[in-house]
Amino acid sequence: MTTGVERLTAAVTGKPADRIPVFCNMFDQGARELNMSLKDYYSKGEYVAEAQLWMRDRFGYDNVWSVFYAGKEAELFGSHTMRFAPDGPPNVEDFVIQSDADISQLEVPTNILNHPGFQEQRTCMDILAREAKGKHVICAYVTGSMSLAPLLMGMDKWMELLFLGDPGLREEMLAKSHEFLVEEAMAYRELGADLIVYTNPLGSTDFVPMKFFLEHSLPWIEKDMQAIGTEGVVYYGGGARINSIIDATRERTGIGIWYLSPLDDLAEGKRIVGAKNLTCGGINDIKLMGWSKYEIRQEVKRLLAEGMPGGPYLFGTGMVPYNVPDESIAIMLEAVYEHGRLNGDTSL
Amino acid sequence: MPMFDSVIEAYNHAVFDTDRDQALEVVHNAVAAGISPEEIVFQVVLPAMDQMIRSLEQEGGISLAQHYVAAQIADAVTSEMLTKFVNAPEIVGHVIMGTAEGDLHSLGKRIVTGTLKARMIEVTDLGVNVAPERFVEEALAHDAPIIAISAMMVHTARGERGCKRVRDILDEQHLGGKIKIIVGGAPYRFDPDLYWSVGADAWAEDGVSAGKVIADMLAKEHS
Repeated sequence: MTTGVERLTAAVTGKPADRIPVFCNMFDQGARELNMSLKDYYSKGEYVAEAQLWMRDRFGYDNVWSVFYAGKEAELFGSHTMRFAPDGPPNVEDFVIQSDADISQLEVPTNILNHPGFQEQRTCMDILAREAKGKHVICAYVTGSMSLAPLLMGMDKWMELLFLGDPGLREEMLAKSHEFLVEEAMAYRELGADLIVYTNPLGSTDFVPMKFFLEHSLPWIEKDMQAIGTEGVVYYGGGARINSIIDATRERTGIGIWYLSPLDDLAEGKRIVGAKNLTCGGINDIKLMGWSKYEIRQEVKRLLAEGMPGGPYLFGTGMVPYNVPDESIAIMLEAVYEHGRLNGDTSL
Repeated sequence: MPMFDSVIEAYNHAVFDTDRDQALEVVHNAVAAGISPEEIVFQVVLPAMDQMIRSLEQEGGISLAQHYVAAQIADAVTSEMLTKFVNAPEIVGHVIMGTAEGDLHSLGKRIVTGTLKARMIEVTDLGVNVAPERFVEEALAHDAPIIAISAMMVHTARGERGCKRVRDILDEQHLGGKIKIIVGGAPYRFDPDLYWSVGADAWAEDGVSAGKVIADMLAKEHS
């Protein structure tokens, strides 16, 4: 049977495969899988790894995640309070940066692999590497230098500093974010991550004007990529659209895998990404929550019709909300497996 | 008036360029040249926001940062100009604003608040993580006809302690005809039908548009 790793490799190298690769990005659902609260679930790396493997086995898609929640990065900087909800990801409740002075005093965690705040992720990655390496694509999530600060100070303060504040302080914050990104990405690679999903909402023109993107966001993306290398890096706008920045970013960095927003025009994105690189993405998983079986199947068929011609395509979700029913996930995946077949090995 | 047109153009350019200092300089030069504070607010700041909304509708290319900076500039200019108005302006309405319970994201709320000031709409900002009961209590206490709820996460936009509960309380107290709800935030952009399924009367795709939607709701209320 073809594995997820083989499907992804085939897509990237242009080799035949039974079907397109399929990523289903479920995080909080793991708590439901193990019948526990989100707070308990995220307290142990074993739980996250176990649920990721179970959900993958149950639904048959091609990837597993080492992700807990976005605020985990803030915890490494010293944030102690997460506001947990019964049915969605936790919010960072205590920002470690409250004033400009805090930026200068901010200490970037070093030697992350041995950092006490990283040990549950390390446990999770160790289990995933042991159980899934070479079979299912192991994904890790890092936040781009331009986009980490909102987790540490809130989006308003970051916008204020970026556009109305002291440029020197802004650069200091970005340099520290970059330092952290490099540490984190290297740690995940060392632990066995196949893909590093480089998440960068402020590297999208939904968040910043194109002029700012070209003058500020792009140079930091370039710097990030020079430091960590582009092999296995997936550019993701965190749900924000990226079609408008792909050309310039690819030219300057060489990134070859692009994870579009459901709000991007997929056909246009596919044309921009072209046949040599991998286009990922597709379904609007917020709407998935309310769609009928018929609507889900129609949407999958529409996306595959736009995504599959003219080069490699990976069907994926965004970050599936907690309350999307399992049945909807199953219907979506069945439709992708049925209509996403390729002319290669059909021993599905 | 050519000079007036050039002020609007220069101000708009600065706003679109997220250049607050330049926008303020344009305003100060215009006041020094004889344009009244009232004209600055009603014929420069407000048209600039409307232009931003039109650009969004036509090109879909205005970023969150441009909304944020436009609102901050509008807020700063309006605050300064209001102190120089010959007569105190008429407040056209009152809005109760906050983020849904469990939601700590305050940027959207801040953008909307900035745009409302220029429209002479008073805002009671309840902050983040606001209980549904409090939205209604404050609306009644201030005799405010609009409750604005921001939610950036799917579970706070759709949850039972967000807009849905505010709607239930309004219905239980037979206040639905008197107090309207507007919602905004990322989940509503991904699912434009979501607003009605959680019981809101309206939604806005972005902060600057929210100011106009609220102004239109108040105008309808008064008509």
